[in-house]
Amino acid sequence: MEKVQLETLTGVIDKKMNRQLKQYIDICARCAICKDACHQYVGTGDFKYLPARRAELIRQIYKKYFDKAGRFVPALYEAREPDDNLLDELYDSTYACTGCRRCMYYCPFSIDTAWILSVAKAILIAAGRGNEMLGQLADAAIFKGDNAAMFEGVMLSGFDDISEEVRAITGNPEHKVHVNKEGADVLYVALAGAHSIRPAAVIFEEAGENWTISMFEAANYGFFYGDTEKARIITKRYIDEAKRLGVKEIVVPECGHAYRVAEFFYEAWSKEPMPFKVSHILEKVDDYIKSGRIKVDRGKIAGKVTYHDPCQLGRNGGKFEQPRDIVKAVTSNFVDLTPNRAEQWCCGGGGGIVAMEEFKDVRLKSGIKKVEQLKASGASVLACPCENCRLQIEELNDVHGLGLEIWQVIDLVVAAMPLPGSQRSVEAAPAGEGANA
Amino acid sequence: METYLWITSVWGVYLALAVFIVGIGLRIYQWATTPKSAVRLGMFPKPATKSGRFFKMLKDTFIAPHSAKIEPTMWLFSMIFHVAALAAFVGHLRILGEYPILPGLLGGEHAMNNFAAYAGSIAGTLMLVGVVFWIARRTFGPYKNLSVPEDYLLLALLFGVIIMGDHLRFVYGGFIHADTYQEWFKSLLAFKPMFPEKLLSGNVGWSLGTHMLFTDLLLMYFPFSKLVHTIGSFAANYVRSE
Repeated sequence: MEKVQLETLTGVIDKKMNRQLKQYIDICARCAICKDACHQYVGTGDFKYLPARRAELIRQIYKKYFDKAGRFVPALYEAREPDDNLLDELYDSTYACTGCRRCMYYCPFSIDTAWILSVAKAILIAAGRGNEMLGQLADAAIFKGDNAAMFEGVMLSGFDDISEEVRAITGNPEHKVHVNKEGADVLYVALAGAHSIRPAAVIFEEAGENWTISMFEAANYGFFYGDTEKARIITKRYIDEAKRLGVKEIVVPECGHAYRVAEFFYEAWSKEPMPFKVSHILEKVDDYIKSGRIKVDRGKIAGKVTYHDPCQLGRNGGKFEQPRDIVKAVTSNFVDLTPNRAEQWCCGGGGGIVAMEEFKDVRLKSGIKKVEQLKASGASVLACPCENCRLQIEELNDVHGLGLEIWQVIDLVVAAMPLPGSQRSVEAAPAGEGANA
Repeated sequence: METYLWITSVWGVYLALAVFIVGIGLRIYQWATTPKSAVRLGMFPKPATKSGRFFKMLKDTFIAPHSAKIEPTMWLFSMIFHVAALAAFVGHLRILGEYPILPGLLGGEHAMNNFAAYAGSIAGTLMLVGVVFWIARRTFGPYKNLSVPEDYLLLALLFGVIIMGDHLRFVYGGFIHADTYQEWFKSLLAFKPMFPEKLLSGNVGWSLGTHMLFTDLLLMYFPFSKLVHTIGSFAANYVRSE
């Protein structure tokens, strides 16, 4: 490896080094207890997906250049330079990782492999080996932020269309998607697409919330790509908007990483305290239902309903009960997956992997645990508050013929609300009884 | 043999302790002076209070309930090893001085030596069981692939320490008791090293010397190896709840 490139890569480790990272690298006993925690290792049996192995690659570079013992006797630690072989394996094991942190949950030392892989991503980017698709998606989001006026017309027209749909559902001619509303209490940062806005707008309007929609989406491909500066800029788009509109609270949509980015990462990236309260939309909806601001009927959703904890919202975000309480409020036929909550299996669709075609094979194989869980539950309806999880489970649904109806939680809520346009019930075959099962 | 003892059980001990103390000190200094991660790395569920988080950290570190759930066999053997190692460590404290109340409770010095023989035998055997399990586990499949020479070196050193400790316990335990080792070890602490006659007669000196040789090497390597998890796991498990 050329000296200049080597210095660039080791410089990345030096820059990214912090106490936790150092301790994780120093203390991992390579006991491999993490192996059965990882859906990708369990689903493929491929050694490179064993969490401790993924981290070991970073450890090997660290030992070679940053650790006295490693420099003195490199062979003892298999310390080595980041050559093409290492970087190839690092690319696969790093960008395939969904960042679910299930390995951390079971590790006796709580080693956060996903955190170690954030350094791996920085190294890969510095080596010119960052994932192209994620990089392009991140750049597109930044471009949109820099040229917001260019997109305004088409967005406003889209919001008008959604407003029509909202009025058709609620039957209230006053209801609409509020845009650029100064003095609103809530800024709702949705995902791209009407599906993320329409049900939220129905709920906000019916609850009498003083809200407005963001011109930017909550998804953050800079985060998946592994470039914290890009990720910060993408998040800052709606933070600046929230400041301009003077809102009190930012509400993120049914998206796992968007919640984690806003609640846990942005402060560290921007080095300033988050000036707003950050809520997940399901926290708001749960509150509306419990306080009686919106009404839901239990009898409108047909079939046995189950719930999947998206890793970034559950294990990594702490929102286990509110989504369940919502689902239980709209159905009396609820069954939980086993295991669930903090021990929930990752569906295999996180970390931006659904956007990377090259990982399709490992992605589908890694969903086997989720498929088994869903079949065992006997449910015919799945409520799932994360776009990436839904994309993955919809594909698993097709491939394995599960016959599941997969819903956003807010869609279930709207379907259960006594509104003129929400007459829709769910009829689906139980999981496992589909054509290809 | 006396030369061997002086190398392994006098100068080796001084060197090993010096390297161990300085090495661990440096490791802790490195950790303490590296800035903390700006991102909160905790996961859920986590206790709401600081004391709750502290007790969860202790529970996670000493009991590892999550690991028990996912790989009970590994957990069991690791638990056996660590608990037995703690018992062996507590037992070894007798070379610093006799326990104050215990011999009285047990009914005198003879009973105390008998108790130590039983407890030490059990602890030494269980430690051996744990280490043999770990060695066996690293000989196949993903465990083998994941292993690096450091892992085998540490297991070899541990195996040496334990097998020679067990040897001392089972072969010489009937007639050489803690008081003899105490004389030797206290002389080290007083920087007036000497060996009691009992350790110089017969072959026990070779056994003690070899036990100490492995111990010296293990202690010297300790701060530069993954064994620093004995300290670092507390901090890492605390971060889990932050």
